[in-house]
Amino acid sequence: MTGPTPRPLGEVMREALPTYEAPESLRAWARAQAASEEQWQPRARARPSLSRFAYAAGLVAALALGWSGERIYRTRTDSSDAQKFLITALVDTHVRSLMADHLTDVPSSDHHTVKPWFAGKVPFAPNVPELQAQGFPLIGGRAEFVAGHTAAALVYARGLHKINLFIWPSSTGESGAPRAAYDGYSLVHWSDRGLTYWAVTDAAASELDAFERAFRESSQ
Amino acid sequence: MPHLNAAYTLARYLTKDVSEAEDATQEAILRAVRYIHTLRNDGDARAWLLAIVRRECYGGRRQRIDTIAFDDVPELQLVDKGTSPDTAANRSILQHRVREAVSALPDGLRETLILRELQQCSYDEIATITEVPLGTVMSRLSRARARLAESLANLVTFEEGYG
Repeated sequence: MTGPTPRPLGEVMREALPTYEAPESLRAWARAQAASEEQWQPRARARPSLSRFAYAAGLVAALALGWSGERIYRTRTDSSDAQKFLITALVDTHVRSLMADHLTDVPSSDHHTVKPWFAGKVPFAPNVPELQAQGFPLIGGRAEFVAGHTAAALVYARGLHKINLFIWPSSTGESGAPRAAYDGYSLVHWSDRGLTYWAVTDAAASELDAFERAFRESSQ
Repeated sequence: MPHLNAAYTLARYLTKDVSEAEDATQEAILRAVRYIHTLRNDGDARAWLLAIVRRECYGGRRQRIDTIAFDDVPELQLVDKGTSPDTAANRSILQHRVREAVSALPDGLRETLILRELQQCSYDEIATITEVPLGTVMSRLSRARARLAESLANLVTFEEGYG
């Protein structure tokens, strides 16, 4: 029998203490502050010529959206413009889905309810595994139209975080970095048996790796 | 949306109250808009906003400044006492106790610990945000960790290490 492994206090704290998401009302309010400024421009370049007010509005947008001047893309390899566009669309769709009453069209933790719901709504039958045992309870599903794709969106939870898994039929020549991070969100991408999968979450990237493993293992 | 969530999270831990936290975050954003011209460097935006949030949470209250200097603050390593296996139940008891212990810390120690361990700010950033000298950050961090160790003493033991 091996002795207990020492663990840093910080690690134990981060496990025990929740980080909180600002309520949607507050987020919307902050966004409205930004939206009230019509002449929104990238801050870094425009700073000298902008009025103080316009700059301030820009900052609110930056704070609200987590921008640091411009939206930041980080992938393991250089992303093509097409992929950047896709990642932006995926993250925007994920964020929109977390706003009130947009998360699921079919709220259910039962794959026998969620899977048939997609019939007639998307042109394929997505696999809907229940991943409760692996720590990713199924929340439900909904139909999405994202970046030109008619997609099935499956929603799973990881603690307080939500994971949106977007699924659509792969097109030929589709490739790209399997991992991406954008605006503080993590994305992971894989293809399997003719379907393209994109998972988006604000949970840690390592959680998303675990999610991908759990999903793919249960799809075998 | 890391800045807004970070701001709101800090407010939740400082005020220990949902609606106070919302009010403080909202006030902080208004202030951030008004005083944006004082921000020199975009990279400091997060720490700068957190400093404003903190001030709003305390409603202008000033923190007592103490000045004991430390070179570095040892990170504590927890060791489960070993008699019981690392079950989900034990883990959740530990997590509950951590939350209680953090909540019971005095404001100065709690904010320092949260900024360091949960929001992973640098010592310099914490000094800026909490408006105290670097040495005070170190001593508060050290005391906060010691208190936590004391509160959790019957669940885990601690070893010192640097992290």
